[in-house]
Amino acid sequence: MNKTAKMIIVLTVITALSGAVLSSWDSITKPKIEYHQLQALKAAISDVLPSYDYYEEKAINEKTVYIGKNDNSTQPIGIAFKFDGSGFQGNISIMVGVDPSFTSITGIKVLGQIETPGLGTKIVVDPSNKTNPFWFPEQFGGVILSPQIDVVKNATPQNPNEVQAISGATITSKAVVRIINENIGMIKELYQSTN
Amino acid sequence: MNLLLLFISAAIVNNFVLTYFLGICPFVGVSKRVSSAVSMGLAVMFVMTITAAVTWLIYHLLLVPYQIEILEYVSFILVIASLVQLVEMFIKKVSKPLYDTLGIFLPLITTNCAILGLALFSVLREYSFIESLVFGIGAGAGFTLALVIMAGIREELELSNIPKPFRGAGITMIVAGSLALAFMGFAGLISM
Amino acid sequence: MAKTPIPLRKEFLKGLWNDNPVLRMLLGLCPTLAVTNSAINGLAMGLATTFVLISSSILISLLRKVIPHQVRIAGYIVIIATFVTVADKFLAAYLPEISKALGPYVPLIVVNCLILGRQEAFSSKNGVGRSIIDALGMGLGFIFVLVVLGSIREILGSTTLFNIQVLGDWFNPWMIMILPPGAFLTLGLLIGLGNWLNERKVKI
Repeated sequence: MNKTAKMIIVLTVITALSGAVLSSWDSITKPKIEYHQLQALKAAISDVLPSYDYYEEKAINEKTVYIGKNDNSTQPIGIAFKFDGSGFQGNISIMVGVDPSFTSITGIKVLGQIETPGLGTKIVVDPSNKTNPFWFPEQFGGVILSPQIDVVKNATPQNPNEVQAISGATITSKAVVRIINENIGMIKELYQSTN
Repeated sequence: MNLLLLFISAAIVNNFVLTYFLGICPFVGVSKRVSSAVSMGLAVMFVMTITAAVTWLIYHLLLVPYQIEILEYVSFILVIASLVQLVEMFIKKVSKPLYDTLGIFLPLITTNCAILGLALFSVLREYSFIESLVFGIGAGAGFTLALVIMAGIREELELSNIPKPFRGAGITMIVAGSLALAFMGFAGLISM
Repeated sequence: MAKTPIPLRKEFLKGLWNDNPVLRMLLGLCPTLAVTNSAINGLAMGLATTFVLISSSILISLLRKVIPHQVRIAGYIVIIATFVTVADKFLAAYLPEISKALGPYVPLIVVNCLILGRQEAFSSKNGVGRSIIDALGMGLGFIFVLVVLGSIREILGSTTLFNIQVLGDWFNPWMIMILPPGAFLTLGLLIGLGNWLNERKVKI
């Protein structure tokens, strides 16, 4: 057989087989991966909102909000939504929950980040804090949104609109706050315009 | 994101070698002489920039529209391998002196994890075309920087009395550790 | 194939110590350093790499007479990348936590020089049986280093081992161990220790 022809045929066959194997493997694993993503979403929503019986998904202008409700009332008990923004090293995506009147935050959870390991990653979990590794995201619970959230450095927050920065990761801490501040007004307008 | 910020972040703050451990093999292998470190660094930077552009086009114009993202790894590595070959042939034709300096390093680049890492990170971070390109140049510059600093230190190390078991790879790793520690000081260089 | 036949037992054991991929041959350093901030991550990465190594070795050993010499590298990397995708999607579908922790370092197994190196140096020249033994030995040697490195870093950096507390509160964790510099320093010391033991003719 011609050498060049053999080379091309062998490579083509290998690549075609690889494509066939992978596309069938994709059809097996894809539903499971999507299921995990949905579970993660549900877990994040229940983390940032007060306990609810069910949540509704609502799309407003390409932005999805998740509205937590109780069985015995049609009034929402909290609204959650996802924000993206740039942190210290790249994209940070955060799930934020607020009360229905948009006065204070009910909770936040960082869904994705690529901050410095051991420093910026403390916005997710801080293993060096033995009493409460989740102190950073948890301090957002109850923080009021007016005029806006502020960051204090090396001190305990005095005002109800302040959170404490992670030492060694001030920029990351500020980025989280900035992402929330920049987007919350837009969500508020969108949400209230539809109600 | 500000492009200058992205460049500095890729080159210094999040240095590919010292923070993400990408491209360690040539880091240990080629960092014995400053001159060869510079050549290797330039070759990597060159291939990285082209890779950033080509893999972005392939991912966003081919894999995403036809919903065959599952072929991401296979297609990326094939593209990188063929790119390296093309670049090698091109340099050989265009400039003999350049080929003599870069030539022997090019085949090594295919299995340099920094190149594939660059393509994967660009997809993961959803960079635009221009951002990918800047990210590629920055990461290449960072790789060159780390490689050249390391080579400079290793030239000095040859004159020092190192305990026998640590000669070669052992001391290289420990020096790299100190360098990584020093580079951590750059964190916070970019403030917003 | 003109290799002098050495006993299978030796073929297997060489990967564990004398030709250990990480400590002796300095292959696959990128994942070794990147994911070993905990023992469980090291173990998962080691297992994923070993899976790809063994599967690719079997297939490439079977195809060694079919793939033309000139395009062998291209053929190998397609095969390796295919198995890596299989492993990556498996982790994402069945072990999402680990998949998230390892992140882009799973796809980077494609360019792990250990895998391509074994294909070029061994599987393309030897039968299936011998290739499996070689891949298994190398894989176990790789897992061994990753778990040891991950354990040291996790114990000193987070005071836990496989997420179980092993050091009491009296110990102030060395943050540096789970940061990038800790990876370089620990591996450097391990390589030195390996060389020292080898010189003293401590052999497994």
